Amino acid sequence: MLGFRLFFIGIIVTALAGGGYYVMKLQKDNAILKANAIKMESAISEQKVLIENQKKDFEAILTANKELNDLMGKLKTDFAELDKRFNKKNRDIGLLAIEKTKVIERITNNAGDKAARCIEIASGSPLTEKEINATKKSEINAECPSIANPNYIPY
Amino acid sequence: MEKIQWHIITSENAEEVFKKLEADGIDPVLWGLTDKDFEMLAKNFAQIRNKMVETNAILDKYKEYYESTDDTEN
Repeated sequence: MLGFRLFFIGIIVTALAGGGYYVMKLQKDNAILKANAIKMESAISEQKVLIENQKKDFEAILTANKELNDLMGKLKTDFAELDKRFNKKNRDIGLLAIEKTKVIERITNNAGDKAARCIEIASGSPLTEKEINATKKSEINAECPSIANPNYIPY
Repeated sequence: MEKIQWHIITSENAEEVFKKLEADGIDPVLWGLTDKDFEMLAKNFAQIRNKMVETNAILDKYKEYYESTDDTEN
């Protein structure tokens, strides 16, 4: 009978100790889970910031690419205009120079001066007020209006 | 940039052009280009200029990108 009681008490004590240990383990696990959850939340917010920055970067790169493509387009237009000046409607600049030597010489020297100014601008020379304010064909640098006359809209 | 002077010489005005050079105290000698070569020179010049503009624009964009990134990081 005593043995049975002792055995029974032993089972109860073991069960209580086991229960206590289990509760303590649960509390410990819970604390770990809470700490992990905090870390996860922090990692998620860091990732959100990172994704946001990547989006901004991507948009900035797209904008820069678009602006560069626009500039290339304008430079191509300038080049096409130069070609037109030589070859428009089967124009023969050599023949014109024979027929109107002085006029073509004057035009050539004017264009040469303007082309030299274009190189200065391309090298970083600041635009003059006159160049900035030019909006008419008669006011622009026809050799490179895309870089010399920002306010000129071809018409 | 230095200013340069173009002279157009035809078979008809050649003598007059050289005489004028001499009268102006300039050596009567000229470097010549045909009309086609002059066109090519003008186009080469334009291509070099366009390449300069393009390269500068790309450099500006890189500068803009990296300098603005540095600002946000600081």
